[in-house]
Amino acid sequence: MIKSEICELLSIEYPIFQGGMAWISDGSLAAAVSNAGGLGIIAAGNAPQDYVREQIKVARELTNKPIGVNIMLLSPFADEVAKVVADEKVEVVTTGAGNPSKYMELWKSAGIKVIPVVASAAMAKLMERLGACAVIAEGGESGGHIGEMATMPLVPQVCDAVKLPVVAAGGIADGRGVAAAFMLGACAVQMGTRFLSADECSIHPNYKEKVLSAKDRCTVVTGRRLGHPVRSLRTQFSNDYQKVEYDSSVSDAELEALAGGALRLAVQEGDLKKGCFLAGQAASMVNKRQKASEIIKEVADEAEIILKRASIWVK
Amino acid sequence: MLFETIAKIIAERTGCDVSSVKPESTFAELGIDSLDTVELLMSLEDEIGMEIELDQKVTTVDDLVKFVESKKQD
Ligand SMILES: Cc1cc2nc3c(=O)[nH]c(=O)nc-3n(C[C@H](O)[C@H](O)[C@H](O)COP(=O)(O)O)c2cc1C
Repeated sequence: MIKSEICELLSIEYPIFQGGMAWISDGSLAAAVSNAGGLGIIAAGNAPQDYVREQIKVARELTNKPIGVNIMLLSPFADEVAKVVADEKVEVVTTGAGNPSKYMELWKSAGIKVIPVVASAAMAKLMERLGACAVIAEGGESGGHIGEMATMPLVPQVCDAVKLPVVAAGGIADGRGVAAAFMLGACAVQMGTRFLSADECSIHPNYKEKVLSAKDRCTVVTGRRLGHPVRSLRTQFSNDYQKVEYDSSVSDAELEALAGGALRLAVQEGDLKKGCFLAGQAASMVNKRQKASEIIKEVADEAEIILKRASIWVK
Repeated sequence: MLFETIAKIIAERTGCDVSSVKPESTFAELGIDSLDTVELLMSLEDEIGMEIELDQKVTTVDDLVKFVESKKQD
């Protein structure tokens, strides 16, 4: 059995997080992951407080294990959602797309364990100083908003920079990835893309199908021009976007408008033309429809075999 | 003094000439994004020997100089 200090710290069985995914990871998916012994995380995305409160309630009805909420700091509702998680006393808060400094005191005083996503060593250090209990080092292989560093060089550098437990994310979709993350110094992993195929993940069937049929070079990064690069599956939307992204006659506002609502179209309507299907480079490693619990067990079992065998390289 | 220290750190980070960093230069013009700002502050802390918690938006180099000076007085 794969165990690490993260398991004791968060009272979970497996050192595996299901990353918050805007519009996607709701109370049901998070509860399924937590029930399976991992850490399920509800994504607040750009949603208002009522949605988040409702999803926490859904998850609490389905599980009595710890759950997390991910707060997207670019969200117009970040302030109100920050208060909701403190009221509801969720066990863990993860943050994405920015610097959560201004909420740290509120969350810590509510007894919440704060685990920010970081894309650089300096950011990890700053989070340590502000009282984070761990950090998630996420490489640009991942789906969604991304940083520029890849997981392989980022994780060891973050491990060197802080004394906190480090959770590796980005490009991890099977036991080999988990084992590699441990070798790099991490003591847990966060996966997003792999959970897109989970039975409890209620995305549109077209979305699931696109992930299941993806090949290795199927993802692209758009949005660099606006300073918010995003990795998604190559589709009509990403092609259209890329055509205008570096066309100076198209204003930033027009570009922003083009992307607005595109994730919702993918998740809820399965719109293959206008939808933005966020997924990481590991999408092509996701080949089966499974229960969240099967994903966790399979990935952990694979990692265990690989880590046990790792000593064969030492002669 | 503080301005020179900051200009030197920026020049090291971005590879630009230190003389091209002016008080009125914006971080965006200098190619410094939000993650770079965090690193910049860490290097600055090492140089001046105090912790800086940036709790407001700074657009230009001069904004940062003024911010740090105000913290030094507290
Ligand atoms: C569809 C999708 C949506 C995501 N939305 C968010 C989000 O709202 N907030 C966040 O911090 N991370 C988000 N992420 C990142 C994940 O939480 C996770 O860190 C990432 O998926 C890990 O890399 P992987 O995709 O290679 O597994 C998203 C990822 C995907 C695939």
